[in-house]
Amino acid sequence: MKVEFWGQEFKVNLFIGIPGAFLIAVASSMFGFGGGPFMVPLMAVGLRLPMYVIVGSSLLAIFFNTLMGSFRHYGFGNFDLVFFLIMFPGAILGGFIGPRIAKRLNPVIVKRVACVGLLILAMQLLGVF
Amino acid sequence: MKKKVLFSFISIFIGLLIIGSSISLAQPQKETTTSQSLVTIQIDKKQLKNGGTVIVTGKAPEGKPVYIEVWTEEKVRAARLDAEVDKETGKRPYIFYITDEMPAFYNLLFPKEFSDVLEKEKKEGRKWSVSNLLRNTGATAIFEAPAQAKIDRYQTTLWASIIGSRGEKLPPMDKFENKRRAMQLVKAKFRDLPVVFKADVEINPDGTFKAPIYLPDNAPPGKYYVVAKVDKDTRSETVVFENSISFPSVYLDNAGRTVNLFVPFLLTVAVTTFGVLMGAGGGFILNPLLVMLGLPHTVVAGTVMPTVLFSQASGIYNYSRIKFISWKLGITLGLAMLAGGFIGPKLTELITLDQYKFLFGWILIILAALMFWQTTPKYLEKNKKEQAILKEYQRRAMEAAQKRKEGGK
Repeated sequence: MKVEFWGQEFKVNLFIGIPGAFLIAVASSMFGFGGGPFMVPLMAVGLRLPMYVIVGSSLLAIFFNTLMGSFRHYGFGNFDLVFFLIMFPGAILGGFIGPRIAKRLNPVIVKRVACVGLLILAMQLLGVF
Repeated sequence: MKKKVLFSFISIFIGLLIIGSSISLAQPQKETTTSQSLVTIQIDKKQLKNGGTVIVTGKAPEGKPVYIEVWTEEKVRAARLDAEVDKETGKRPYIFYITDEMPAFYNLLFPKEFSDVLEKEKKEGRKWSVSNLLRNTGATAIFEAPAQAKIDRYQTTLWASIIGSRGEKLPPMDKFENKRRAMQLVKAKFRDLPVVFKADVEINPDGTFKAPIYLPDNAPPGKYYVVAKVDKDTRSETVVFENSISFPSVYLDNAGRTVNLFVPFLLTVAVTTFGVLMGAGGGFILNPLLVMLGLPHTVVAGTVMPTVLFSQASGIYNYSRIKFISWKLGITLGLAMLAGGFIGPKLTELITLDQYKFLFGWILIILAALMFWQTTPKYLEKNKKEQAILKEYQRRAMEAAQKRKEGGK
């Protein structure tokens, strides 16, 4: 598929893009996380697209997944309104604070810290300790 | 040969057991009322606030074991996929059992003498079984409140899961089968043996008994019912106490738990903030933490997901204002993701908490690897250039949007 973006034309390999996006969507809606951190590498490495094409379009693609996943979870009775009303303001507040702190921090260090944190969490989930 | 004989003996024994318990279930109500006076029961409190302990005392015929069943009127969902190999046919049944009528709190207290039986069953680890425990403690007929839950069952197939359906609904089960499945659902819902089954009833030689009922602070509010039972038709009357909760505790209806609302709120703030910093959605960290707090994974997945809907929508709106979205690309991949999002939530239901944790653990390891890759010098250098180009294009896009706006005036 050919995609035009700001005067440049890109070839998108749908044989990688579609199955990849599909699998990411299954996992993401199954576990209830956003698919962004997996979609961006898929589009950057798998589809060889530059970042400026990815930022907006990946968000649009993920939105489809979040919307459908939310409806389906609601249909299966997995949605808890009170719980949602507690977390939603929290998420908004976090989204407000985050960018303000981000400017003062070194992103490489943040990512390395996140790396360690994620591994610890993963070990906990896998019951290693 | 010997094996065969033993096998048929066992099956006859099981058959008798089945007949025995179905008779007990079919027992007319009348008989139970006549024997009520044999067992008396009192509780020391009628009201609890945010959990606490209620002491049950009473008197039963001398020398008899006394079991105490406690349950709440509040109902919650329990589900389980039976994918264990059937011993007779050697096939996996793939039947999905689900009920919305499981008591949100259930306790069965045994006489203290059974504490070693409970310990032994606990040693089985993840493989402990409610039905084994009840059989070994002679309490199969005592287990009643969860057995009242109406359980639906569905024949799940791979194809049904792919199209996101629960599968074909099977005819309702008889009382005995329903009870058997209710035992499995109790385990699926409450998971740990000591949460539900306790050997806490102290029985004196004269037949008086005493037991504490402990309600944790995450217990649901509402009415709790308590009955002391000696056997299938000798029991006390039902006594009721009430648990109330007050701010900042709130009851999560679908999760069947009371939480202090500041805990998930502050957790969400902290995790989302950190999520912005590390450039990945908060769900990766938030969901495992919430699951570790004891919330059901289905409710966590189903409730965290919609919280990002609005931030995503506003992001898309902001990009679309400066025409920074390739609609063709976004919608093409979006349709694939739409299909994925249709299937995923179905799978959440099918897996157990342990499977959820296991798979999530591996996803986090992959994510950690991706994060690490993004801090390697080679990536950083490439990213620096990419970001510069990104900024340049974004600037141009904003200028163009500005011009259009001015032109529009």
